[in-house]
Amino acid sequence: MRHILRLQVGPVSFRIGSQWRGPVEQLRRLYAGYPEPEGLCDFTVRLEAERFWRRWLRPSVAIRGDYVLPDAAPLPLAQGLLAAEMGMNLQMALGQKRFLLLHAASVEKGGRALLMTGHSGAGKSTLGALLGERGWRFMGDEFALLDLDDGRLHPFPRAVSLKNESLGLFDGMDPARLGPVLTGTPKGTIRHLRPNPEAVARMTEPARPVLILFPRFGRDLEPAIREVGAAEAFMRLTQASTNYVALGERGFDALTRFVGALPSRAIDYADTGQAEALVDELWRAA
Amino acid sequence: MSERSNIPDDDGIGRPSRRVVLALGAAAASTVVTIRPALAQTAGSVLNCEIPVPAPQAGSGNFIAADGKLVPAGTPGAYPPLARPLKGEEVKAMLNSGRAPAGVNSEAAQAYANYIRRLQAGMSGFTCYASLQMPR
Amino acid sequence: MAASLYAADPPETLRTVELEGLTLLYHRPSGLTHFLAPPAPQILEALAAGPATAAEIAARMGEAFEIESEDPAAAIAARLSELEAAGLVWRT
Repeated sequence: MRHILRLQVGPVSFRIGSQWRGPVEQLRRLYAGYPEPEGLCDFTVRLEAERFWRRWLRPSVAIRGDYVLPDAAPLPLAQGLLAAEMGMNLQMALGQKRFLLLHAASVEKGGRALLMTGHSGAGKSTLGALLGERGWRFMGDEFALLDLDDGRLHPFPRAVSLKNESLGLFDGMDPARLGPVLTGTPKGTIRHLRPNPEAVARMTEPARPVLILFPRFGRDLEPAIREVGAAEAFMRLTQASTNYVALGERGFDALTRFVGALPSRAIDYADTGQAEALVDELWRAA
Repeated sequence: MSERSNIPDDDGIGRPSRRVVLALGAAAASTVVTIRPALAQTAGSVLNCEIPVPAPQAGSGNFIAADGKLVPAGTPGAYPPLARPLKGEEVKAMLNSGRAPAGVNSEAAQAYANYIRRLQAGMSGFTCYASLQMPR
Repeated sequence: MAASLYAADPPETLRTVELEGLTLLYHRPSGLTHFLAPPAPQILEALAAGPATAAEIAARMGEAFEIESEDPAAAIAARLSELEAAGLVWRT
């Protein structure tokens, strides 16, 4: 290798190496303005040819690094940027030990944070990114980092992966924040969106979480708010955490404190306007 | 039911005590649910992580001496870089029982094992090595 | 005919948190987390005094609580079997 990018995202640093120039250049442009890590990087991602000839013939990118999934299928070189993003997610999911990781979007206002968690497709990524453009500070859309000692949430503002159709929701933003259109990916057609300058500038500022939301998006849904009990929230969050089990007792303590101290609510919505209204209502009461 | 002569909470005038009722539940009820890890956690056991020998950060043209230090290529008694990274499972076997990975002779395996033991934070494979050390 | 003796790990190996009437339990020896609903936590408390048969467990619980059950023996057997499956109780 190679082509290298060193990237700092919140409290975590990555070293991304690639046998091809393209993906690293796209990543560099997508993360323009992000700080260079000081010293050694926490995780390594490597984009490699599965077999040596795959570097040139129908080039395909195998995602490697400190942690790998052995049966993962390689991606075509055109989706190298997605491979790098997936590689970073994988290192976090499998190797992160300093924080309890939750599959969640998080935003902050007035020093207090809102956590939104749920299955892929439930709408948390889009909602998180949108709130980040509407008066909230965006902290992340894929992973929320829960401090094991003091229960604060740390920002992890990676580029947001959006279905091409969702981009219409983000009118008026700087087109330079967009990555290339990637078609035929495992998630369909997507584009990456760099978080706004405020999110990047404040990526080292944690916030105290005050509300847990389980959002559910559906075109046929009536807007609704339901209370979620702490025990149910705990169960759902263990399923939303990739390192709960690995963290053992520290994970148990951090998560029980988290759900014990904060209200949890489920919200249903059919469009983002409804979502924002429900969030505002719950935030006023929090 | 046996008679109880010392019933706590007895108010002294013979009325039945109010002890907490504990229902045992129906035979078919479920009162114990074990949290199963989400898929990513089971797929991501430490044995899936990899350690390249040597790390790419070391640059090219480095061979591995018997004591695990990196030395220039061609140094007598030093071993060449491994063509493919070692899986966590292989490293664990190598470090604990000296079992050489496939295609590696035992002296070379010793050198590679020493190299891995010297890994520092920031070198590719360090987090993998560190996680192999953690008791589970 | 000797009844089986059941045993559990000592209380200091368990970390418990009560949430909404349920007991969340972190079992240090296995690293597993369990949700327990009554009377499962009370059975574990009963075993804190040492291994016991199902009947003895019922008696120990009867000292602290008013036991309510249509078929106490069957219910306790069912609860013990759930706890065994979870690795929290075993037969010695």
